[in-house]
Amino acid sequence: MAWNRKKDEETAVIFSIQHFCLQDGPGIRSLIFFKGCPLRCVWCQNPESWRMDPEPAFKAHLCMNCRTCIAACPGGVLLQPDRRKKDQCRRCFTCVHACPCGAQSRFGELHSTDSILKELRPEYPYFRDSGGGVTFSGGEATLSAAFAADIAERLKAEGVHLTLETCGQFSLDTETATDGDPLVQRLLMAMDLILYDIKLFDDETHQRYCGGSNQRIKANLAALARSGGQKSRPLVWPRLPIIPGITDTWDNLGSWADFLMDLGLKHITIVPYHRLGNAKRAWLGLAPGPEFTEPSPEALQAITRFLEQKGLNCYTPGEEEWRN
Amino acid sequence: MNSLYQKVSPAYSQAVAETECAADLRIPSARITRIKAALFAAPYSICLERPKLLARFQRSAAGRAARKEHPLVRRALALAFVLSQRTPRIYPDELIIGNMTSKRIAANYYPEGGSINILEDLFRLEKRTIPLKLTGKEKLDLALIGLTTCRDSMGARALLKPGRFGHFLDFFSAKRYFITEEAGIGHQVADYHGLVHRGLKWMDAWAANCLENCRLQNGKSLDEDQRAFYRAIRITIEGIRKMAANLARTAEKQAADPALADPRRQELLTAAAACRRVPYEPARTFLEGLQSCWLVHVALNQEDFEQGMSFGRLDQILWPLYCEDQAQGRLTPATAAEITASFQLKTCETMPIYSERIDQYFSGNGVAQGITVGGTDADGNDVTNALSGLILEAYAQIATREPALHVRVHPATPAWFLEKAVEVLQLGCGKPSFFGDTAVVPALENAGMTTTHARDYAVIGCVEMASQGRTYNSSDAALFNLPLCLELALNQGVCYGEKHFNNRLGAATPAVEQMRSFDDVAAAFRQQVEHAVAEMVKVIGWLEATYRIWRPTPINSMLTDGCLAQGRDVTWGGARYDLTSIQVTGLADTGDALYALRQLVFETRRYTLPELVRILKNDFRDHAVLQQELVHKFPKYGNGIPAVDAMTQLAADVFADAVRAHLNSRKGRYVPGIYSMTCHIGFGRRTGALPNGRRAGKRLSNGLSPADGADRQGPTAILRSAASLDSRKWANCHALNLKFDRRTVQGKSGARVLSSLLTSFFRQGGMQVQINVLDGAMLRAAKSDPKAYPGIVVRVAGYCAYFNDLQPAVQDEIIERTSHGMES
Ligand code: SF4
Ligand code: SF4
Repeated sequence: MAWNRKKDEETAVIFSIQHFCLQDGPGIRSLIFFKGCPLRCVWCQNPESWRMDPEPAFKAHLCMNCRTCIAACPGGVLLQPDRRKKDQCRRCFTCVHACPCGAQSRFGELHSTDSILKELRPEYPYFRDSGGGVTFSGGEATLSAAFAADIAERLKAEGVHLTLETCGQFSLDTETATDGDPLVQRLLMAMDLILYDIKLFDDETHQRYCGGSNQRIKANLAALARSGGQKSRPLVWPRLPIIPGITDTWDNLGSWADFLMDLGLKHITIVPYHRLGNAKRAWLGLAPGPEFTEPSPEALQAITRFLEQKGLNCYTPGEEEWRN
Repeated sequence: MNSLYQKVSPAYSQAVAETECAADLRIPSARITRIKAALFAAPYSICLERPKLLARFQRSAAGRAARKEHPLVRRALALAFVLSQRTPRIYPDELIIGNMTSKRIAANYYPEGGSINILEDLFRLEKRTIPLKLTGKEKLDLALIGLTTCRDSMGARALLKPGRFGHFLDFFSAKRYFITEEAGIGHQVADYHGLVHRGLKWMDAWAANCLENCRLQNGKSLDEDQRAFYRAIRITIEGIRKMAANLARTAEKQAADPALADPRRQELLTAAAACRRVPYEPARTFLEGLQSCWLVHVALNQEDFEQGMSFGRLDQILWPLYCEDQAQGRLTPATAAEITASFQLKTCETMPIYSERIDQYFSGNGVAQGITVGGTDADGNDVTNALSGLILEAYAQIATREPALHVRVHPATPAWFLEKAVEVLQLGCGKPSFFGDTAVVPALENAGMTTTHARDYAVIGCVEMASQGRTYNSSDAALFNLPLCLELALNQGVCYGEKHFNNRLGAATPAVEQMRSFDDVAAAFRQQVEHAVAEMVKVIGWLEATYRIWRPTPINSMLTDGCLAQGRDVTWGGARYDLTSIQVTGLADTGDALYALRQLVFETRRYTLPELVRILKNDFRDHAVLQQELVHKFPKYGNGIPAVDAMTQLAADVFADAVRAHLNSRKGRYVPGIYSMTCHIGFGRRTGALPNGRRAGKRLSNGLSPADGADRQGPTAILRSAASLDSRKWANCHALNLKFDRRTVQGKSGARVLSSLLTSFFRQGGMQVQINVLDGAMLRAAKSDPKAYPGIVVRVAGYCAYFNDLQPAVQDEIIERTSHGMES
């Protein structure tokens, strides 16, 4: 399954490093977006993160229709700027190089730890003054655990606050939370904060909307929660996307709230859906996903009240008060 | 002059600071709300009182007699006449009195300056982007004044001479530079500290003494010019006193009205008593201090013109009075905030007059009356005080276009103060702007100031620099089109669009066919910049000579250290620090263009230089692919890439060196600044395609900000790029704009983000930054329905303007420019 697995000690496929992010952990942060995700949530905002390997994409709004890309494509795979024979594409990215407008673009570059550190270091002053740091996002960083653990440890050694955003679909010995995949373990333990995405409580619904079971997600969360909050263990902080009609049912919200309270987790961030994902699906030549309405402020308030009645402190992204 | 500020016991300051926390001083009182509403309801207009009074004076016997006098005295007599004959107007509710013009909001008309340009719009005053309301009779008067005084402007006097006519025409086709000094010098931070604590009496006594003994303070005997100087000082002080007395009388008369409510009567009597005392006598109370500053500010506006007349470090100047009032139980923080808000609202009474043609260079109606707060004393200790915060809070009450607010940041700036400043920023008025002492002070030292004086800097107008009360900085003398110099360097000094090749605008640099290396290009560029700067300096020299005879400024001089001692007007070189500043436009565009040119021609050798120039001349018409590639794929300044930022540094250095090589005619230094007003739009229209992919006619980059759309890594990367540049030569500072969508930086967490951005930036050696907090949707709505959205304040270049006052092109820029924090 893993693309270029042999080399993943030193390199991983990163689809972007974004500075000045304010919503994924405390302070001003830089996000490293890892490519590859084990789930396929229908509302996904980052479909470019799904596959592990680099892939070409076409941003129609930038295209000036000069057809340079078509002439450049070695295999004649590119029929029109927006039509490539997907199965024959060699992923040589000659078209991306040739395109003057950035319309033919590439999601995913091989990065080494050094190249990432080089890009992050100039931002350290902003991390320091704002109490920020680096967030491992994606995609799913645990899929590139070796690389991610490596870079996490180096960043940690340089005093950087670390956050992992995860969907929870990784292998961990759920009894003790000490072994399982030792690389994942290393990665998790290097973190200061884990933003743990939960979606649907009912497994069947979860499988339907997210393309996989939630058994392991729940078990991992339980294991992390049990060990969380202890000294030198990361703070575990659940996040729940609010997808109208899917995740915002009282049933779903209530079940999660009870589950979290049972685990002794007292905080949750609700992430309102927004409609950026579909533009990106088009860039990747994927069929459009379903459109949802963005939840209204009133709906969000009602959800907040509901969760708070259940005993959780409920936040929106960027407004959290980070503590145990 | 050297013990800068009276000492107040630290324990006492602490106590004052603590009582502050009690009330929220940001909430306007009913009075402040009423004054603001009245100002918002007032139409913009032009005040003709000043030119009419001047004309009356010229016709009078006294005026005829004055013609035989020394130019300094002649000017002083005219000024004193205007000051003493102005009709005093006191508006309801205000606590600080003194009308700026004869109308509630109007521009003063300066026949000596550039006001005449408004005649271009005479028949469509109401239809302008910024409508002006004048009666039919007033329009007739305006036309008449314009015609009878058209040869009185400094530009006309300096340039309507044999051999200079071409330069006169240059004013109408500003290409390489725009000489703003033609309109006036203005831009001053007078010695308000001396004014408030010693009164004009002190200056008067000095002048009287010298006249009586016929000697300077140092014992040298007076020459004719010096005698005239001291006479001019005394004459204008008399004029100012009469103006104050007239106001006091009017206030007393109003107070005598039996229908008046008691509290208002008391206020009027207090204001009258203040005007009977200040500015001649030292101020005894906080209110008198502000009243003193205001009256002299009005006088300075009558004397020179409206642009950039600034108050300096009011938190320091007024602090002893504020503490004393509190100690005596005369003043609560809430009252002090109300008085300060009333004072600040007075600054909204004035505006400039620009014709729409000129407006493309200076859009937005700003005059930038700067107030500076925070910073250090002469030894570098923090002197932020409760008043520094209160001045910000008073502004939060009004949130208007004027005044301009400036916050000094240094390593020991208290966190509470930065937080307060950021809260004001979150209101979305683009104020305050922030200055890093760590970068500013060395730049000023580099321009010849002592450390002590550099540390007492205050901001002139938008971003310009003065050691307050000691500097005569023609800080906005001219704006310079740097990218055009690259165009000229690539075309032997001729503009691309020029049909006749012998119509050479620049220096005769070699043809591109002869340029073998990037250094050859850089050398030609340097030569073009030097040539243009030298031309500009020549014209400014003519203007300076004209100012000395026709527009000396005695009030400015008595409030600028050095003049009284030397018996010399500021226009004659009397100031302790004498500077002329030239600002560069299109800096990032030039840097990016140089970088791309080197890549294309000398690194990858994809094009020869002549080929590239042909493409540029043709505005990329047959090379759209290349143009897109340059736009999208070439690295640009503002993304934290050292190799690219180095080219912007190179461009800045070429400019700075060319400017710093000159002295003005007063033997003062020329210094560079980096800001654009809205000249980046006007200049852009007259500049051909650039190698960074910018097409002909498009606007240029603004101040120290990245070129349009060039910043792809977000605000931290912009700040990194900016802070990485060597600013030691930029004694007139720079303007760097960051724009945030409101949602990104609202609330407590937003405030934290903004203050940490500022802290990091200044820690890295940043010099200046200003931040707009906007809502893109709101601005788009405001653009299509201006009436529904009055009072949105945005920061344009270095200054703030009401969004609706901006030209559509400028509005578009504000809307379009990357809104940081918005996704994708
Ligand atoms: S990636 Fe290579 S093979 Fe695929 S479309 Fe582009 S140029 Fe053709
Ligand atoms: S090269 Fe780029 S701009 Fe040209 S047709 Fe292809 S995608 Fe469009």
